[in-house]
Amino acid sequence: MNIDQFGMDTITLAGPLEAKLRAVRDAGFTQIMLQARDIAGHPDGEAAAVDAVKKSGLRVTGFQVLRDFEGLSGHLHAYKIDIARAMLTMCHALGSKVLLVCSTTSTHATEDTDAYIRDLRKLAMLAVPFGIRIAFEALSWGRHVNEMPQAWDLVMRAQRSNLGLAVDSYHMLATRTPVEALDDVDPSMILFVQLADFMWQEVRSPDERMNTARHFRVFPGEGVHSAEITELVRRLDAIGYRGDYSFEVFNDDYVQLPLATVAARARQSVRFLVGQVRRRSLPVRGRRVAAP
Amino acid sequence: MHVQEHNPEPSNPLGMDGIEFIEFATSQPQALGALLQSIGFMPVARHRSREVMLYRQGSMNLIVNAHPDVLPGMSAPGATPAISAIAFRVRDADYAWRRALELGAWEMPTRASAMELNIPGIHGVGDSLLYLVDRYRDFSIYDVDFVALPGMDPHPPAIGEMHYFGVVQAIEDERSDDWIDFYTQLFGFSVLPGGQYFGIMPKGTLLESPCHKFYMQLLEPPPGSEDIEWDERLLRLGLGAPDVRAAVKSLRERGVVFVDRDPIQPSDKGALTQIYLGDVTFELVRSHLAPGSGA
Repeated sequence: MNIDQFGMDTITLAGPLEAKLRAVRDAGFTQIMLQARDIAGHPDGEAAAVDAVKKSGLRVTGFQVLRDFEGLSGHLHAYKIDIARAMLTMCHALGSKVLLVCSTTSTHATEDTDAYIRDLRKLAMLAVPFGIRIAFEALSWGRHVNEMPQAWDLVMRAQRSNLGLAVDSYHMLATRTPVEALDDVDPSMILFVQLADFMWQEVRSPDERMNTARHFRVFPGEGVHSAEITELVRRLDAIGYRGDYSFEVFNDDYVQLPLATVAARARQSVRFLVGQVRRRSLPVRGRRVAAP
Repeated sequence: MHVQEHNPEPSNPLGMDGIEFIEFATSQPQALGALLQSIGFMPVARHRSREVMLYRQGSMNLIVNAHPDVLPGMSAPGATPAISAIAFRVRDADYAWRRALELGAWEMPTRASAMELNIPGIHGVGDSLLYLVDRYRDFSIYDVDFVALPGMDPHPPAIGEMHYFGVVQAIEDERSDDWIDFYTQLFGFSVLPGGQYFGIMPKGTLLESPCHKFYMQLLEPPPGSEDIEWDERLLRLGLGAPDVRAAVKSLRERGVVFVDRDPIQPSDKGALTQIYLGDVTFELVRSHLAPGSGA
């Protein structure tokens, strides 16, 4: 593992897009996760935002986020398809090859997983001409799909070559999904991994998970689940995952700190993770004694 | 209650029935027209309102579109001709179009003017379109939108019984499965078993149309081609002929030059023309498809 596998996420940083891109690059990162707001909210328009991203030289890890997409019907479904089309168009303009889709929280969504599969297939088809892959993530407060294995089950059942899984350490920790569940996942179908820790030992209710996720995440190594996150990354490495890791750290404090300070913390987190994973990968010292 | 009858065979959900036309776009239609004529396509009609010409030979219709007023989101025709559309014949174009949209195809804005036909289309590879046409039996789309050129045979015969065999599509690295999903799910194409190829360019993935009348060939960039330009697009037209050597001979007599060096020698199996006008080649393939079958 090395720094080129890790990227920052613009949601962690304050300020204009150009300043975020510069801070991320200056900290030694080579990739950036973008959100639609970066583009739509740019004071000089979408084209200027796209230009800034291209000029930064950073590779785009992915583009986020399409919410509450699957399981709707009638005019709600038609509306979400329009939103999906617009997001795919932006994603393509930015040169991003991945669009993140979070499991629905909508009370209007059906519980019928066949409908989810139909909608995910449709989204994957919309993405084909653009060469974009759809990364489906189980949001820990998702209405019906809220654990990674459920998302993986849908991805497998949908069977589309450009539909895969997004793994998010926060959501897995929040729902106490055992890391062993990754052993059932095909690593080539994990499109990227989002990493974040948080400060509480437990987040029991969906509301608590959502509130923590949106305000109190920290970089791996800064929270109270360092061992679990290390184990998660080690496990991903062990099953053969060689793709990108993105720090998805929503934190109210970080968006009021100097960009360089926050980017330095992200860089420190890479050192922490790489060091931990390497250490854990070494043969356990006692093993030789135990061997016959 | 209105009941629509759609009873196609299970493997051909849209009742696909071959290629109605292939469209090229170029800002230099005269140069392309001259090339097409050497291949045997004769100009037969002109569009009523746009700079669009219909060429034909045997069962093949070919449209050259030089109209500069392009659709939103599409590029204007460049000087270098490009294959800009394939029109599939289907049993019910409206049904096929709605079904494709329901499965996630992108709707393309139409360009029909008053009194002109509205041909439904979806987004294909790159800037290209896939049209869906159901008026091709006792009534043709050209009857409405095109005016016949005086003095021209409206049905020029095909040289060497040539007919549409397929279209080669360039795709990016590791994108074969995505495009296989596209053609199988939207139209019912099926992947031919590995190793089953036609012609002299045995590469990539070959998809057979559900009507068994033509093929799409998907080509990822060849190894070691990192430095060459390889955009996703419709790359080349494949023309079938029962006797490739005879067709090559006839075309050579008309001035067409074929690549004549290993491994792409004209043979019984196929032949490849040189590159014309910057990017245009035609591939001849020994064909088991019946000429005049609409493909």
